Parts: sequence; C-alpha cells; structure tokens
Amino acid sequence: MAYFTVDQARSIIREAYTAASGDAPLVAAALYDPGELAALPSGAVSLALGVGHPVRHADLRPGETVLDVGCGAGIDTLLAARAVGPTGRAIGVDMTPAMVARTREHARQAGLANVDVREGLMESLPLDDASVDVIVSNGVLNLSTRKSRALAEMFRVLRPGGRLSLADLVVTEALPEDVLRSAPALAG
Amino acid sequence: MGFQAVSTVDRRPFGIAALAPYPVFPPEFVQFLKRVVPPERHDELVWSLVVRATKPAATGGGSHAA
Repeated sequence: MAYFTVDQARSIIREAYTAASGDAPLVAAALYDPGELAALPSGAVSLALGVGHPVRHADLRPGETVLDVGCGAGIDTLLAARAVGPTGRAIGVDMTPAMVARTREHARQAGLANVDVREGLMESLPLDDASVDVIVSNGVLNLSTRKSRALAEMFRVLRPGGRLSLADLVVTEALPEDVLRSAPALAG
Repeated sequence: MGFQAVSTVDRRPFGIAALAPYPVFPPEFVQFLKRVVPPERHDELVWSLVVRATKPAATGGGSHAA
C-alpha cells in the first residue's frame, strides 16, 4: 500500500535532505574506517547518511567508471574516485540540488578532478546505456516509490559484465502503520 | 534477463538507537518510534544489507528490466 504519491515522496525527501546538517560524524564512524575518513573533507564525513559501505564491496579498479546513485553529500563518490584513480571517473547522481552542490564542493576540497556530479532521478538516470563499469548506492533505493524502475535504470546504464554494490535497509516484519505514514520514516 | 550472481555480502541489525544520529530523523521521531514499536523490536527494527550483483556479459546493454 502506498502512503505517499510519487510527487509527495520526492518533495518530502528533497526537503529533508536539503535541511540535513551533520554536526557529529557518528554515522560515518560506524560505517567507515578511520583512515578513509581522515582523508576526506569534514563536510562529506559529517553528512554521511548511508547505511553500509558499498564501496568496500565493489572491488573497484584503477581506470573504472563508477556511478554513485543518490550520492548525497558525496562520501561514497569521493571514496570511489580515489579508488579508481585519475584514469577512472566517479559520477554522482542525486535528485536534491543542495546535495549535488555539496558533493561538487567536497570533490573540489578533496582535489579530485575525476568526479562528475549530476542532478537526476534514480528512476531516470542521466546516463547513456552501458556507460558505467560499476554502480554503488547507499541507503537510497528504499527512498524510491518505483524501486523496480530504479533497478531497471541501473541495469540499463551498466555495461555488460558490470557490477552493482548496493547497501540499503530492509524490513523482515511489517512496521506499525503509524510509522509507515510518517514523513521522517519515508525520508530515512 | 536481469542481474545475476546476486549475493548478500553484509547483513547487520539496525535498531532505533542506530537511527538516532541521522539528521533526517528528528529526536521527536526517534521518541515516536520508541513509543509505537514493540520493545522487543527496538534493537532490530530493520536490517542493513549490502547486496552485490552482476549484469550478464552477453546482454546487449539495452533497457532490460532488472
């Protein structure tokens, strides 16, 4: 059962992530290695909003093109950019303009010239067919009201033989209906 | 045709306390969760997974559904 329309959901999510301000990097500390975090701009660390470490499991190689679906403030995009090196490329896509701007700024602060950030929807990725080697995504697919469409888009933009590493939350038992109807639960 | 070699490479419980540091969850929402969610689920409200998958090498790369 859908509790929000597509437009309502996107509006709630954009508003929540635009307003998000990280004042304590507790989320990042729980998910990433201290050495990884030390090499990143503090803004990217304090606004880490993922739920896992998909880059760790992506086996990235120098020269690869990586797409971070729902890049947020850019922590995984920056880690991917470092892993693929100057001959590779990390592309971040996010539907919230404030997050696109944050990732661009954090890439600039990190001195990473191989980062490309684009505004777009996960259900309509602004990339060509078969144009990326690897996709990572962290706590984002659950935000879509059209998850099958988002996965189909990931499949479309991956090259044949390409890899997906996706971190997200799942429920194993139904949540109370009061929770399902709440905007913060949708945004998280 | 869709993704192949789908596997879960990391799986861990995510309780209400783990949600509290996220700025998208206001403190009042965390308190709301503690009220409406049965106490036995507070430490395992949801699960965090990392899933890996591969796009088959033989596809044409077009718009096949996942």
